[in-house]
Amino acid sequence: MKNPIHTLSNARFSRLAIALAILLLVLAIGYKVVYPWAFQLYVGESSAILTYPNSQPLTDAEFETLSRELSEQARRERAAEIVGVDQADFAREVKIEMLMGTPSFVRESEPSHIKYFRDAGIRQYQGPKTCLRCHATTKVDHGDGRVTTVDTLDDIVNSVHFKFQSDADGFSTYGYDGRKVNAPGERRIPVGKINRACGIPGSFSWTGWAALVETRPEHAEGATVTRSEGCGQCHIGGNYYPATEKMMPIGDVPVDAKDGIDCLICHSAEYDMNQRYVMRDDIGPRWNQDRSLRAALSVGPVANRNCLNCHQHNMGGDAYLHNVAAKSLGEKNQRLLHKGAKRGNPFSPTDDLHAAANIQCTDCHVPEGHKIPRGRFGVDLVANDLPGKDVACEGCHSRAPHNQSEHKALLNGHIARLACETCHIRELQENNVVLRDWVHPTWDAEEGLWEPTDVYRSGKPGKGFTYLWFNGNGTFLANALGNNPNGSTDYNPLMRQMARIEDPEILAAVRAKAIELKRTYPDIDVDAYVTAATDPLSQLSPEMRERRRAMIRDNLTAAMNEGESRIYPFKLFNAMMFEDMGNQGPFGAMILPFDYASYYETGDTQASVIQAIRDPIVRRMYQQPFKLYMMDEFMSYFGVTEGWRTDYPLVDGKLKGVEPHWMRQMGALMINHGIQRQGHECKDCHAPDGLLDYAALGYEPERAAELMDLDVLQAAD
Amino acid sequence: MSFVPIRFEIGRPAAPWSLIGVLALLMLGLGRPAVAIEADKQTKACLRCHAMETIAYRDPVSREIVDLSIAPRLLPHSVHGELACTECHRKSYRRYPHPEEAERESFSCVGCHEDDSAEATYQLKTVESEYRQSVHVAPGAKHADRFNCHSCHDPHVFKVSRVGTDIAQVVRDGNQVCLSCHEKARDPQLGSHAWLPKRDAHWESVRCVDCHTPASAEPSRVSHQILTAEDSNRDCVACHSRDARLLNRLYQYRSEEDLARRGLFAKAIFNEAYIVGMSRSPLVDWISLLIIGLTLLVLTAHGLGRYLAYRRRRNR
Amino acid sequence: MKALYLYPGWLRIWHWVNALLFILLMVSGASMHYAGTPWLLAFETAVPIHNAAGILLTLGWIAFVIGNVRTDNGRYYRLRWRGLAGRLIEQSLYYARGIFRDAPHPFHVTAEAKFNTLQQLSYLGVMYGLMPLLILSGWSFLFSVYLPETLFGIGAVWVVAMTHLATSYALVLFVLVHLYIITTGETVLTNPLAMITGWHRERHTPSRDA
Repeated sequence: MKNPIHTLSNARFSRLAIALAILLLVLAIGYKVVYPWAFQLYVGESSAILTYPNSQPLTDAEFETLSRELSEQARRERAAEIVGVDQADFAREVKIEMLMGTPSFVRESEPSHIKYFRDAGIRQYQGPKTCLRCHATTKVDHGDGRVTTVDTLDDIVNSVHFKFQSDADGFSTYGYDGRKVNAPGERRIPVGKINRACGIPGSFSWTGWAALVETRPEHAEGATVTRSEGCGQCHIGGNYYPATEKMMPIGDVPVDAKDGIDCLICHSAEYDMNQRYVMRDDIGPRWNQDRSLRAALSVGPVANRNCLNCHQHNMGGDAYLHNVAAKSLGEKNQRLLHKGAKRGNPFSPTDDLHAAANIQCTDCHVPEGHKIPRGRFGVDLVANDLPGKDVACEGCHSRAPHNQSEHKALLNGHIARLACETCHIRELQENNVVLRDWVHPTWDAEEGLWEPTDVYRSGKPGKGFTYLWFNGNGTFLANALGNNPNGSTDYNPLMRQMARIEDPEILAAVRAKAIELKRTYPDIDVDAYVTAATDPLSQLSPEMRERRRAMIRDNLTAAMNEGESRIYPFKLFNAMMFEDMGNQGPFGAMILPFDYASYYETGDTQASVIQAIRDPIVRRMYQQPFKLYMMDEFMSYFGVTEGWRTDYPLVDGKLKGVEPHWMRQMGALMINHGIQRQGHECKDCHAPDGLLDYAALGYEPERAAELMDLDVLQAAD
Repeated sequence: MSFVPIRFEIGRPAAPWSLIGVLALLMLGLGRPAVAIEADKQTKACLRCHAMETIAYRDPVSREIVDLSIAPRLLPHSVHGELACTECHRKSYRRYPHPEEAERESFSCVGCHEDDSAEATYQLKTVESEYRQSVHVAPGAKHADRFNCHSCHDPHVFKVSRVGTDIAQVVRDGNQVCLSCHEKARDPQLGSHAWLPKRDAHWESVRCVDCHTPASAEPSRVSHQILTAEDSNRDCVACHSRDARLLNRLYQYRSEEDLARRGLFAKAIFNEAYIVGMSRSPLVDWISLLIIGLTLLVLTAHGLGRYLAYRRRRNR
Repeated sequence: MKALYLYPGWLRIWHWVNALLFILLMVSGASMHYAGTPWLLAFETAVPIHNAAGILLTLGWIAFVIGNVRTDNGRYYRLRWRGLAGRLIEQSLYYARGIFRDAPHPFHVTAEAKFNTLQQLSYLGVMYGLMPLLILSGWSFLFSVYLPETLFGIGAVWVVAMTHLATSYALVLFVLVHLYIITTGETVLTNPLAMITGWHRERHTPSRDA
């Protein structure tokens, strides 16, 4: 037996050790330097050190002036809250002034970070770097008694808010092939959201991250006005492209990109949305953000206004009267407003009773560090940081929430079958989009751009949204899954509620819109247009229809019958887009993105698609590595059993195998906000032509008749 | 669990003529008599609302949630499943919204069953006198004023003998009644049963009432006199051997269920009723083991002697 | 050297089956009685083993009784009352003294009598005394519901349990003694081998010893 020390000093051994060390070093350099460089080359992106014009150093004197101003402002706001409004204006004013001069009040109401910054000598806000000086780690309360400490930057970089996709398990989404997406045992693929209200869905955010659009509004009389558009207006990464690296099995976001994280949009009470616009430098366009010291000094607990900076966009919509962020569109290159609302259920004191009660977003969506739960229910394949954490009405309201009505017990009785939202969202905003035609845009003279045509908008129940059984599961294309607890075999929303519009009022409205479009697009056959828009399955061949029916039956029945379903309201949405017909299945084909600038500016949708798919990332998508890495798996979930076909749909500058189509079924988006105190009346549903189509919901004819007949309930003996 | 705020008055006769009518008709063997069909119709009307699983309200006084739901699948199988709702509940309940005074009703199990054949089987009078001594209605007991038969026996689900059900299920169901209020007992650390070795095994195979009632004269009947924690049986041997009556009650009860469910042969093989330690008798064990030990000693000595004798012979 | 064919095939099979069942019953019975002791079987495993073995033992015992009635094997169990006490004392003295002094066996196996009196008595006691008690009490356990609620003023199940327990112990005792006594043949292996082959072989002829 040799002496181990002797072994170490052995010449052969030390040579081996040196070789090993060199190998490790090479690998490390490869991973840290060569791989990121090669990756950026592969996807055709580049990054640089990010600078922001509004991140300016202040002198001590300037700092003190600003502090005084902010302190006074905060003090005045607090004083106004304390002094009751029920007194004469003059008396109130005097009292507020008294408080403003009260030393203890002055001390208590000063924004906390003024002192911290003053003591630490911070005179310039430089993004995450500045925050991390003190907040390098975060204590995370997991809500179950566990408290852990995490690296703050890591926590945020790996949150859905930053990377907006996830390959973790915990999805309640089922592929049309019957497999649960990214379930344990399956090969994991990164999935974010398939957001079809948008022309740049899902991972196509690459092609539409930040764009500058030259518009020709009426009032400018021929001059062009530059506007900002793109996914990056809400996603918090400030880089030239989204966090693509996180989609890959290895690699990390470049350090520079992490420097672009916008902490203040969520944490500052004084964040100026006018700083949020696209600017262009040598590398390309990217999103500006508010990095002023004013915003940095006014950080505090995350409040509703922070969340709503972005999220009112997908709840109330950009055109919503009380969308505060949409009032500050940018000091230049103003952001474009989207007129049709994605959901049309605003969270604001005017239209939501929780907002009116000053309930905070984070009261229900209780965060764990920088991970924010969105509930266990997910119909729309949206990445979820905390899939196991509940966000539910019952958490606060208990299982007997009605206390006032004469019928309280009966109302509570409905909870077994109905979600709270079913009654308490009586309607959505009227600009809620149901059918959107991206292929035939309409000229908006006021804004001076071509915009997608909203063929049908409505906020009315049964029209703008419908009612479906839902057990928390959804499909790959956002179809709510569930079934009547009676185990019905007739309830088939993927062939019915989400695949056909029968309401004569909607049919008439769609026809009117088609006739209107025909004026701009003479090729449109009005009858065919109405049929395709309202009966999208008519676009499928009979064999394809049969395959669809069989796949629903064989692959989705189990996911539909799982757990306990209740009736939820779902906003329905469908869109006409260009599709790559080479990758088509019974549930749709791969949709292709548009290039924002050319779309808005020219209205030439084909040219816009061509422009968008020239993007290197789309080319990569049609190559072997991507096929093997994720597209085959993606297609299988999508219901295309033959795998991903890599025929790039652009040949010699012309689209090949690309056709415009309505997607084969409507997406169903959960609506949970815009809660109204007064729910629907009994008669709204329990009547022969009530809101709920009991037969379509899988009730036996006898039971359906009973449910439509409220008189039985009130029979006085 | 919360108590349904209805008053239960033991022993007050209510003379339900219609119940007797129904029973009489049933006994005459008329199949489904008109009365029963009428009862069905009425029950159906009530169940339109009360079959809702979540029908409930928060009582403004107690602040507790009062569950009003009735499991429509269990109701027909319960002992009272044949009755129309208004056989027990006031007629005014047939109107909706229910008139306020309807809420102040009172029920009387013993009153109903006083003169019928059920009395002979279930001895409700004995039950009543036992119940009166129960810890649940003892002066000063928490909720004593609101406690009644239905606090434990859900009248819409309750059925008497579940011959044919899995024993473990019977035990589970029985204990669920107790544990739905005595939630703290479940806590493995805090629990008042922490002293009990193999607590969960006990709970899976023994009903709470087996220890928490006095041994009654008839082994197969469990008393309704629920004992205080102090008075309850804590003596292992009381079940696990000596006290013949307690052992009998437990074993015979389990045996009967087992037999009914599995049939003779399977029963013979599996005999689920066997209770660990029921054959234990320290005296017999000690004496027997002593004799066996002594015998082994003698045999060993004898064998040794033979071996020595054999060696002696060989050496010679 | 003499060789007698004493144990016909059916008897040998019965004996060894019985032996196996006894082992199973003792192990599983102890496992039930002393449930929770770590090196014994799990209670849930022991119960069906014990019950099944018990049922087979009952069948075996019935077969044994029938076998003894129908074949001439029964004659070995017939007691010869005359001189019984003398033979008993003689046999006991042999075990207590003679065996150590290489004294001759007071009893010689013949085709007519294969058990000595002590053996005969103990086998009789076991097979027609303890075994029926054991079997009856075992079955009473299984179908206790058909018993009266009390026996002799005590709970029936308790009486049954104690009877079963006491007979079990007694039979364990029997097995131990039996295992030892069979080694006291002409050589240690004479008797066990006989029960395997059926042939009782002795090197020394009785005449030479006598």
